Amino acid sequence: MLRFWSWAVLRLAAVMLMASFASAMLIRIAPGFSSDDQELNSGLSAQSIQAIRQAHLADANIPRFYAQYIASLAKGDLGTSRSLNQPVKDLLRERLPVTLANLAVALAVGWLLGVALAVAAQTWDIRALGFLANGLSGTLISTPAAALALVFLLLRWPPAFAAALLVFPKIYRYTQNLLQQSCEMPHVLTARAKGAGPWRVLAWHVAPIALPQLIALVGVSISIGVGVLLPIEVVSDVAGIGQLAWHAAQSRDLPLLVNLTMVVTFVTVCATLISDAAQRGFMRSAA
Amino acid sequence: MKTVRVVAIAVLFLTALTILGASYLAPAGYERQFREVPQAAPSAHHPLGTDDLGRDRWARLLYGMRVSLTLAPLAALFTTVLAGLVGGIAGYFGGWTERCCKLLIDLFLSVPWLFLLITVRAVLPLNISPEASVTVTFTLLGLLGWAASARVICSGAKDLMKSEFVWMARASGFSGLKLIRLHLLPNLRGALFAQFWISIPVFIIAEANLGALGLGVAEPLPSLGSLLRELQDAITLRPEPWRLLPLAVLIVVISSFQVLLNKQVLLNKQEVRA
Repeated sequence: MLRFWSWAVLRLAAVMLMASFASAMLIRIAPGFSSDDQELNSGLSAQSIQAIRQAHLADANIPRFYAQYIASLAKGDLGTSRSLNQPVKDLLRERLPVTLANLAVALAVGWLLGVALAVAAQTWDIRALGFLANGLSGTLISTPAAALALVFLLLRWPPAFAAALLVFPKIYRYTQNLLQQSCEMPHVLTARAKGAGPWRVLAWHVAPIALPQLIALVGVSISIGVGVLLPIEVVSDVAGIGQLAWHAAQSRDLPLLVNLTMVVTFVTVCATLISDAAQRGFMRSAA
Repeated sequence: MKTVRVVAIAVLFLTALTILGASYLAPAGYERQFREVPQAAPSAHHPLGTDDLGRDRWARLLYGMRVSLTLAPLAALFTTVLAGLVGGIAGYFGGWTERCCKLLIDLFLSVPWLFLLITVRAVLPLNISPEASVTVTFTLLGLLGWAASARVICSGAKDLMKSEFVWMARASGFSGLKLIRLHLLPNLRGALFAQFWISIPVFIIAEANLGALGLGVAEPLPSLGSLLRELQDAITLRPEPWRLLPLAVLIVVISSFQVLLNKQVLLNKQEVRA
């Protein structure tokens, strides 16, 4: 277990280092990086303007710029938003809880709906139910998040449920495939041939095989949820991280945008690591 | 299910014909303005009416389909080649090369895709031309969407490298490019084709989301995504339901891809088992 966690922490550090390097590079190559609004201030002397330019020239050295960027990140300084003129940390403190609450609802409802429909379709073997569930997941997987958010806005339904409906098809399809594969295994067929009922087969023979793989899907579903929440928050005017990222992209506020992306990356990598660890723990206890 | 597949093939065939014949089917160019009839209702001249700028909606839908449905497969091809290269190299060499490639794959898989897309899109200059914006949008989709496919290809290549026939080929003196050309590529063809097929609807939806957020293809060039922006004027949607047609077309086309995709993935699984 110690080896797993050491490797996981190393992987997390490597991914975050690579992500931070890409972020620093993006900020560095963005248009307008070397210019400053203060240069337009007529009250400043020529010497002051020259000093501001010199300060920007120092940033042109990429390794030095990256080292400074990493040092401020290590201190927890995520910089200041150019467009909103507020520290990124404060903006995150305001908006992260909104997104996390919506994400929690979306994941809970999406998982409940996906697993329930997949289990029902597999257990009862009703053709109409399978057709309905496949049709629903097929339509939802083909619908852009922004369009579904608009429908929810028109109907005045909570936007978190739109996100739930977009998470649902991926959970449903994966669970259904997993259950189908598990049900075709020899020991499951034997149990059924010996007269075990569908629920008993599901609880005692199918679930122990399918559960570890489903646990691994939790981390992926968080990434999917965060991705679909971005357009939903924009269309539904929800003051979360997604809307903030869109605002940053529209106003070309690169420091805000890349730092947001870094935070979201950190959250999703941690979620994936935890779900991987849970999967390993479950498999170990089952063994 | 066979009927559904036949319908899906028919829909995609019809879509392909419509894209090819867009110049003949559209009453005017996508950018031509009929200034005397802005926001017109459907008529014989304008089957879907006109938009705020007096541009024919039917023409814009046809050309938008042409842009999205031609460039998404090209981006998918690009991403499949990238995935084949990275995944193939990782699976073929193994060891540290594989670990480094997997770290890169992990990085791309960890960042939510849409965040990455809008970040890179925001770096581009403001005065970008419509043609450049469409090229950049789909190139970005291709550049950023390879990671999941690369993981599949890497696992396939790794399995092949452990297989008996590859051991025998290596023992007979096959190595390098010859081994890749004669043994790896032909056996990975099914997986590569499945990944290509999977990427097309993903890219169409990603472009639609970007377009709906105003970060996709620049005006006046239409795409299925940029046409969805018109839906944001939600108050007038109820009296003008024909404005929903681009969304309906998008859902029907992607659903058709999904139906055929399920079949393709099944075929690929059977091929792998065989």
